[in-house]
Amino acid sequence: MNSTDPSTSALLIVGHGSTVNPDSAAPSLVHAAAIRRRRIFGQVACAFWKEEPGMRDWPFLFDESIRDVYVVPNFISEGYFTRTVIPRELEMDGAPGAVTPRPDTGQRWHYCEPVGNHPSMTELLLRRAREVAPSVPERETSLLIVGHGTGLNDNSAVAAKEQAARIGAMGQYARVLSTYMEEPPLIADWAKLTDTPNVVVVPFFISDGLHSYQDIPVLLGIESEITASASERLRQGEVFMQNPRHLHGRNLYYASAIGTEAQFADVIVEQAGAGSV
Amino acid sequence: MIIGQIIVRESANGGGELRHRDDLKCADGELTLHTDPEDAVGLALYDDAGAYRPLKTAPNLRHGWRMVLADGAAARLALDSFYPGRRGAFAAFQAGRLHPTPLRETLGRQTGMYRVTQKITEEQIDALVGSFCRSDGGCLRTILWKRDTAGAAPSSLLPSEKFDPTHDQSGQTREQFASFVPLLCQEACNLLVAKARAVVKGKSSSGKE
Ligand code: SF4
Repeated sequence: MNSTDPSTSALLIVGHGSTVNPDSAAPSLVHAAAIRRRRIFGQVACAFWKEEPGMRDWPFLFDESIRDVYVVPNFISEGYFTRTVIPRELEMDGAPGAVTPRPDTGQRWHYCEPVGNHPSMTELLLRRAREVAPSVPERETSLLIVGHGTGLNDNSAVAAKEQAARIGAMGQYARVLSTYMEEPPLIADWAKLTDTPNVVVVPFFISDGLHSYQDIPVLLGIESEITASASERLRQGEVFMQNPRHLHGRNLYYASAIGTEAQFADVIVEQAGAGSV
Repeated sequence: MIIGQIIVRESANGGGELRHRDDLKCADGELTLHTDPEDAVGLALYDDAGAYRPLKTAPNLRHGWRMVLADGAAARLALDSFYPGRRGAFAAFQAGRLHPTPLRETLGRQTGMYRVTQKITEEQIDALVGSFCRSDGGCLRTILWKRDTAGAAPSSLLPSEKFDPTHDQSGQTREQFASFVPLLCQEACNLLVAKARAVVKGKSSSGKE
């Protein structure tokens, strides 16, 4: 992007998407619209694993006037999706920074690093923590960063752990821990893992989709069963999440996912920019 | 121009008005006016009953809106949100550059939780594609892919028109409109792959996706 003409450069934001939850793709679509308004790319499109356009639609997404396409995975960590699924479906070299030429059109497709690798993730997580619990004294508060953990999302646990270590090193909160949905330390054990009167939980996820909005509240004990999706509840006039909840004698605060932050659009643009160097 | 369930009444500069084909006879004032092409994402998200539409080419586009767009770029952006990738796929088809992928190849490429779809039987494919992809209540795309590299038909349960790009899958009349853009299916979508997994696993639904 730095070196090429913006009108012939395009951005492709790749998200997971969902066949059951309308909120999964929303952050990618919202940031795409915001970036489009800035007119720094000739075209901006999204592609998804589980929604349309599917990644296999890549040949149909951009006009022939486009010369360079920057592919930014809107994923929290490198792993199965960024290394295997996205390069396979987009028929690209999956090494970060790799350029795949497209003989049909003469386009060059640049594979960029996932948003979760960007240095501002730490600040975004901290900001979410402060927003959800603005008046609690941090010295009497534990901060839990929740990642997916296990299985195919292999590096999400590492990513959450790194963020917790970075925030912990700042010394603001009484305790900072990374926890997981499916491997220990389990987020379901939050009350045992902490001993402060306040506990702030921030999901390290892109969207307020199935995991962060529907699964984790059940694991925390905020909801007794899986609720409707965030947008469905909103349409029914419900508020996002009521904070704090008083559970196990503590004040529990649960934040929304960081990927919906407007600043994420900047992160996507910067990941694309880094891919052009 | 007709594309899926949408009528585009083009103006000279490539912009124009988009609305649901069923709303053709509605007075302008009866429909909610949109002028921002980005609104198409939201209009395409839910059906009339408020249910989420994961498949944008399903025949359940919501009614009651019209979109007046300033120029061709705005119209293209809106259509690409209503029917992602379909304008481009049709252009590739017209240029002879659309290369459909056989279903067995799509399934053969799957890894992780979808690798199991490779075990789907011929009978199961026949029934699944016949019900999931049918134009009447399933999906309005015209299937261009074959079942395998030998060229077997995707499903014996679908009429031959389902594979004909000149046929309007909506079943509506379109005499009065000059041009028609079929919604082409050059490769099985991920929803079908997810259903194939459910079929192989013996579940009626694919669960969490
Ligand atoms: S495979 Fe094609 S025709 Fe079948 S449901 Fe998916 S998009 Fe529609």
